[in-house]
Order: sequence, then structure tokens, then C-alpha cells
Amino acid sequence: MANIRVADIAHGRSGDKGDVCNVGLVAYDDAGYATLKSELTEERVKEHYGSLVRGTVTRYEIPGIKALNFVLTGALDGGGTRSLRSDHLGKTMYAWLLRMEITAAEDVPTYPTGPRPEAVA
Amino acid sequence: MKTVRLGAGMAFWGDSVLPAVQMVERGEIDYLCCDHLAELTMSILSKQRSRNPEYGYTRDVLDLLRLSIRQCVTNGVKVITDAGGANPRACAERVAELCKDLGLTGVRIAVVTGDDISGDIDRLMAQGVSFTNMDTGEPLSSVRDRLTHANVYTGADGIVTALEQGADIVICGRVTDIALYLGPLRHEFGWAADDWERLGMATVVAHAIECGGQATGGLYDGGWWKTPGLENLGYPIADVSEDGTAVITKTPGSGGRVDIGTVSEQLVYEILDPANYLTADVTADFSGVRLTEVGPDQVRITGGTGRARPDTLKVNMGYRAGFIGEVQFTYTWPDAYAKARRGIEFLENRLDRAGFKSDDVQIEYVGRNSMWGDRVAEPDPADDDLLELVVRYAARCPDETEARKVFTESVPLYNNGPAGVGGIGTRPPLKELFSLWPCLIPREHVTAAVDILEV
Repeated sequence: MANIRVADIAHGRSGDKGDVCNVGLVAYDDAGYATLKSELTEERVKEHYGSLVRGTVTRYEIPGIKALNFVLTGALDGGGTRSLRSDHLGKTMYAWLLRMEITAAEDVPTYPTGPRPEAVA
Repeated sequence: MKTVRLGAGMAFWGDSVLPAVQMVERGEIDYLCCDHLAELTMSILSKQRSRNPEYGYTRDVLDLLRLSIRQCVTNGVKVITDAGGANPRACAERVAELCKDLGLTGVRIAVVTGDDISGDIDRLMAQGVSFTNMDTGEPLSSVRDRLTHANVYTGADGIVTALEQGADIVICGRVTDIALYLGPLRHEFGWAADDWERLGMATVVAHAIECGGQATGGLYDGGWWKTPGLENLGYPIADVSEDGTAVITKTPGSGGRVDIGTVSEQLVYEILDPANYLTADVTADFSGVRLTEVGPDQVRITGGTGRARPDTLKVNMGYRAGFIGEVQFTYTWPDAYAKARRGIEFLENRLDRAGFKSDDVQIEYVGRNSMWGDRVAEPDPADDDLLELVVRYAARCPDETEARKVFTESVPLYNNGPAGVGGIGTRPPLKELFSLWPCLIPREHVTAAVDILEV
């Protein structure tokens, strides 16, 4: 097994609905999607967000696009319109989940991201 | 086989108008659908209207139409917008004047109303609508005297009626974002208002494109570094078929990209349960959605469906909830962290002495933990090479006077506090706070009305 981060196998986006923040993750391939499904349980994701999520974490699957959707309640300090946080709309909440450390089988492909020479298409 | 090309022209009030202008010029679209309203834009617009009865709509729609309406008329592109906000009629009148100024004739402008229930709250409550807060269970009476507006997220019925009456430009208030797209599709394809499968599929399509550039390479986490032309991002166009499925593309010759990655990321944006996406028109089901790349910057979207719409509609109510007072200041090496701690203590002690009242306070180090709070460690006090530390102090206050204290009590940091401080503001950055009061209304209480202005 290999220790990786979620960012190695998925990309994501997050946003707000009142005090609810949703974090959508999209796996780069099927092996990555299977890994996400087994590693990212609601309990582990809730623990990873810690004090950032005062409410609950619920996970939904959209298999046709290899996506998981995490709905985090009580996650925006009272909601985008009241929140004192710099990121009052939860736009960067997805990136915190991308940082989560997980384990994956050695043969799960990983995808380097960002403008490093080997990653530029 | 007939298809209808819908362009997503604007995604919020203040969004660039150029993508919409380019789309009208060379996107071969049939409809330009523009969303100008975020969750609490209506609070701001209602406040503007209360100060001036001619205001209360998002004025960027005039900038957009000044640059594109002539071409829309020439190319037969119809415009559907919620820019009417809190004052759709005033918005339509200004649009009519603009058309006259440009020498256009024969333009039919529809005003769709019926969403604004602010004047009917007493009557509706007498009829048994409680407007109880659906998140907290609190009664409306706890904020009633502070309400800024009350608008129902209405569906596509008014837009369909307007198009049946030959409208070229449809100006709405608080319709749902999705309705801006379902309206023209129902009109063009003659879908029944209870054709749940097609409406559900089309809702998935609309959701994919309604945030404009976020479907075409904007904010693309999976490949922002290999997305060309972000400065000239083309906004998305959906070529919708009679069954509600579509091919998503973008304006030819524009920046950005449309592929499975960009569209997937947007499909998961701001949704809750994908199998139960509630709108005023349909309960859409995203759970079986599929994407296929069918050409350069062309993605076919299928697999969405829907079920009966909810019996209740969501009401967008806002209320005045005080002010935010906020300051930012930067301490430098040496001992940046210790200085910052002392600066914060200085501010807190002075605020105490000034009898400061607040409901909540947030202290962040920008560049360090302002996004992920206490999940990130504070700076290490032993790190003697920390070059700078930006402190942001924000407080939610009951009124403007209290919020202003955050500024006035921080100014002495310039000459009374620890050494090595820069960047303290010279103007109080006060922000009035509007909160959302989420509640429901049975749909039988809400009826769309359509008026036509002809230039």
C-alpha cells in the first residue's frame, strides 16, 4: 500500500448554500474512484475537517462521472452572508480535503498537478 | 432534428459582460440566459429601491445590452434575465429606453413578476403560511421588523408565457437560475409542465452551465495550469435536444476548455443530494449523469432525469443582521509573531475599554490560517526568521457604531503599539450584514404575471 493524498487521484470544487458547504471530488480514473469510495468515509472526512464543520458530513455518489459529493452542515460559520471567515463562501474547503492523507494500492495511478514541467500537457 | 442553443451569458452581478457579447456575435445561440442574482443580492437591490424607486435592478444588464442588443435583434437571439431583481418593471423601462436610443424598433420586452411577496406577508400568514425558518425552526416574528425583502424562487411558467406572447427580452425578478433555461426549452419544444424526465434532464444541463466560466475552464482544479486563454474565457453553450440531453460547448475562438474534467467539476458544484435536486419546476436527479467527449470542446451530457416538483417553493427572505467591523495589519521581522500577538492584545484591551459589543470575533493570520482555521498550526514562536505576519480581525456587531470601534481602536496601533507594523487601513471598512431567512411557501399562493412593453 502507498501513502498518498486525495489530490493525487482526484480534483474538486466547493461552494455554499447557506451554512452548508458542499465539496465535490472527481476521480481521475476508475481505480482512483474506488480508492476514494473506500477511504473517504463520512466519519473520516468529518474528522479531517474538525472544527471547520460543526454539523454533519453526508456522502453521495455520482458514479457516471466518478464523483463523490460531501455535504457539510454547519460548515460556514453561520452561512456565507454572516460568516466572519475570509473564505465566507467555502470556495477553498475542497482543497483541505485534497490534502487528506489516505492509503491506496500500489497500482493506483497518481496524477501530479500544477505547472511542474512533467505535468504540462 | 431540432436543437435549441442556450448560452450562459452572466453568472452573477458584476460578472464580465464580454463573454455574453462574444457569444451573441459568434456563438450562434438562440437564447442568451443571464443570471445576475446571488443568494442575498436581493437585500442589496431592495435597499437601493427603498432609496430610489427607479433603482433595485442590477444595472450591469444595461451595459450588457448596450453592447449586444442590436446584434441580438439582427441574429434573432432572445434574452432571458433575472436582472430585474427587486424592480423588474423599472429595469424593463430602462431597457426600452436603451433600445429607443439605439434606434431599434419592434422589440418586445416582457416583465415577469409575482415573486415579490413582501407586501403580502400579513395576508399569507393569516392564511396559514408560517414562514418558519426551515433550518432553525424559529418563528418569523424574531426578525420580522428587520426584513429587507421577501421573494419566492419562482419557476419557468412566467418565462414560458412571455415567450408565447412573442417577447424578445424577458426580464424577471427572483426566478430560479434553472428557470432561465427551462423557460425557453419548454417554449421551443412544447414540453408539458409535468414532463418530469425531460425537465429533470434539462435541469442537469442548466446546472452545468449556469455559473458561466466555471464550466469552461474557470476555477478548474483538475487543470487550470493547462487551460489556455483564461483572460478571454468563452462561456458555455448548451445545444439541447428534444429529449433534454445536450452537447455543451463554448463560444468559438474564445479561451478556456470544455472537457469531461471541466464539466464534471461544475456538475458537483453547489449541490446537495444529487438524486433530489429541488427546483421550483422539477425534482431533478443527477445520480445517473454521464459525460462523453464528442469533439473538440464538446461534451455530450446524458443520464439525468426527474420526478414531480415539490409542493412548496423556497422563499428568499433577508434581514438586517448588524455590521461587520474588520481590520487588517501586518507585523514584520524580527519577532513578527510575538508582535502580532501583542498587537491583537492591544486591540482587544482597547475595545474592552471602549465598551465594545460583538456577537462573534474571528482572528486570522492571512497567508497562514485564514482558509482552514485551527486545522493549521499557529506560527512557531521559536521561528526567528518569520518575515511578516498579516493579522485580520473581524467582528460581527449589533450596529454600525460598534463595528466602527474595530477601526477606531486599531488606528493607535500605528504609534502606540508594538514596533514594525504596516498596512493599517485609513478608512473604516464597514460592511452591513444581511442574513438569510430560509423558509417555504405552498406554491398555490404564488402566480406569475407577465406584462409586455413594446418599443
